[in-house]
Amino acid sequence: MDRRAVLRGIALAITASGTLELEAAQHVHEETAAEKAKTGAYKLKEFTDGEFKTLQRLAELIVPADKVSGSAKDAGAAEFIDTLSSQNATLADIFHGGLAWMDAEMRKRYTSSFAAAKAEQQTAMLDILVEAGRIEAERQSEQLVYEKASVYKDFSNYTVKRQNELAAGVQFFDWVRKMTVDAFYTSPMGIKDLGYLGNKALSKYEVPKEALEYALKRSPFAQG
Amino acid sequence: MQQNPRSQEVFDVVVVGSGAGGGTAVHVLTAKGLKVALLEAGPMLDPAKEFLEHKMPYEYDHRGAEEGGKSYFGKGKPFGFFATTSGGWQLEGEPYTVGEGSQFQWFRSRILGGRTNHYGRMSFRFAEYDFKPHDKDGLGTNWPVSYQDISPYYDKAEEFIGVCGTVENVASCPDGKFQPAPPPRVHETLVKKACDKLQITCIANRRAVIHKPTNGRAPCHYCGQCGRGCQTASAYSSAQVQVFPAMKTGRLKIFDLAMVREVLTDNNGKATGILYIDKRTRTEKTILAKAVVLAASACESTRILLNSKTSEFPNGLANGSGLLGRYLMDTVGFGLNGYVPALEGMPHYNTDGNGGAHLFMPWWLWDKHNKLDFPRGYHIEIGGGYGLPGVGSYHGAARRLGYGADMKTKIREGYGASIGFAGRGEMIPNDHSYLELDPNVVDKWGIPVPRFHFKWTDYEWKQARHMEKTFTEIITAMGGRVSGLSAAQREANGISVPGTIIHEVGGARMGTTVKNSILNGYCQSHEMKNLFVVDGASFVSNPDKNPTLTINALAWRACDYLAEEMKKGNV
Repeated sequence: MDRRAVLRGIALAITASGTLELEAAQHVHEETAAEKAKTGAYKLKEFTDGEFKTLQRLAELIVPADKVSGSAKDAGAAEFIDTLSSQNATLADIFHGGLAWMDAEMRKRYTSSFAAAKAEQQTAMLDILVEAGRIEAERQSEQLVYEKASVYKDFSNYTVKRQNELAAGVQFFDWVRKMTVDAFYTSPMGIKDLGYLGNKALSKYEVPKEALEYALKRSPFAQG
Repeated sequence: MQQNPRSQEVFDVVVVGSGAGGGTAVHVLTAKGLKVALLEAGPMLDPAKEFLEHKMPYEYDHRGAEEGGKSYFGKGKPFGFFATTSGGWQLEGEPYTVGEGSQFQWFRSRILGGRTNHYGRMSFRFAEYDFKPHDKDGLGTNWPVSYQDISPYYDKAEEFIGVCGTVENVASCPDGKFQPAPPPRVHETLVKKACDKLQITCIANRRAVIHKPTNGRAPCHYCGQCGRGCQTASAYSSAQVQVFPAMKTGRLKIFDLAMVREVLTDNNGKATGILYIDKRTRTEKTILAKAVVLAASACESTRILLNSKTSEFPNGLANGSGLLGRYLMDTVGFGLNGYVPALEGMPHYNTDGNGGAHLFMPWWLWDKHNKLDFPRGYHIEIGGGYGLPGVGSYHGAARRLGYGADMKTKIREGYGASIGFAGRGEMIPNDHSYLELDPNVVDKWGIPVPRFHFKWTDYEWKQARHMEKTFTEIITAMGGRVSGLSAAQREANGISVPGTIIHEVGGARMGTTVKNSILNGYCQSHEMKNLFVVDGASFVSNPDKNPTLTINALAWRACDYLAEEMKKGNV
């Protein structure tokens, strides 16, 4: 089992014990689309203006604009998170709680909320969470090996590392990052950035010669 | 409660299940002029509504994460929002149990067409040796039929449903009646060159996708979204290719949302029909027929037989052998991904093709088992190309790369440079792998549920290790590097969880006598001549060939035989 599967397990447990009524949520996305078409401006459904601004700032730090495409903020990542959170109390709590944690941690470190902090303070915080995330992933995979692989069970002096004290922040950052990345790469902007050219009707399927020659030339099968 | 009016219509045949087996059955039986009732536990299918084949993720505010982000909590559809599957490993109100020390996941489809709506459409014939496995290595049991018996029905099935491929003369994967195959993509050409170097056979893939007009169906238009269902039915699904056309004969009546509990019998060794729960009204209803054909899926058909207890058959219908439920098998699965720098920065092109891999590797060591530490073999499926990005596509990359401009650049550069291999191998049937009824649990329809027992043995584990070694060699030969899990983690989880490959077969196997099997070579009960099982339950072994095409062929042959026997008055 990889870490993603573990997280999924945790998430499942949370959902099972919660009072989630997903089916009860109506088709808010359709309403959202209709609303957007009508007004042209996005209307917040779950988050406060402050929370939303922080999500937007996180989105543009996670996937920034560059010479190829815009940022995840431009691609609607914060709106995506707001819409889904408004349909799911568990998800909303992950973000309400996570954003509050982030501001508290920023005030401790830099005496400023995340949104009001300087850019280098914001990225310093994210760097700390990324590093803590690496350590946490390593710890979890070691623990998995310890629990699951029979060959390791005889290691009498094996100790599992203590959980990182930033674990709550690591989990929140994982949520905001994965949903931001999803929002960006499933948007017209992100799909264009990658250069996906399919899901079209064609009368004939052909593989361009220049692509084949490019790869062959760079492969171990290059001639001469 | 049971509604059984005196004047009730008696059908010639009642077919339970509308997937590959049931779809083939109604096609063959109605063509022979028989009056057929078809029962499906799910609803009718409306391809125009159900199939989302040309949608892009941004057409939905949830982008495919589903309402409230269900997919983030493991509660989304099993293959994602856009996939057409209407079913899964867990169905609300329809549980199953697993014996202590076992792992098994039971996939069930609940919609007209069953799993043929979403399946991979890999269509490989069994080899001659696959029908006589015991003769080859002393393990398992021979089939009561030979390749020569089934070959004409492979011909019929391939010509009717349409299978692309090329004639190759490979003994482990016999040639069929093929439609033209699409050309290999760039990464597949590199795989082939690596395989040539490693002396691994690599040939055009064989999939149930048509590339020329066939029986009024349009050829593939290369949108590459077969898993979402195909509105033009260019990719085979039993609902579109067999059931809908059979409805046009006027001889087919469909009962949907019909959850079958048991086969009805008289006391003279004959099946008289089916008892089912109408899911709309939660009432028991019956269908009367001169013959009963079960095609509800291997484990569901077995469950129906186990639940059809009579004084004559106290341990389940047609279970004189006591083997009903035994020799349950899945396919051995193992996958490994790699990163191939030669593909980085390549001029992008549309790699969707016909939706699946255009090449595959049939088992190439079929005559070299003296050099291997496991019996039987596997084939290799290839993944790669510039796929349609979706929710979850870059979670792994993001975790690896952190965030920011560097992450964005690396995701862009690595797009299309990853490659994946999946091994699909043969399991040896064993005494620890079977299903029985759980005496303590019923589903919400009041029907006792199956309890599964399953164990991989060293045969399967060693085969999976051979897959791992082979995939590593191919990735390395392409100039790539393996990007999978650490070795220690693989040590704990190096083989698919039983049931997750969704190739579960066996449970009511065919054989030569009433002592060693449930069915004869025509999928007909030894003990009840008007009872047939035409899904994967009849399988004696589970070769590395994906089972659907063989289910099509065996069901076709069984129904030809049934129609003839009815004409002769034997059934």
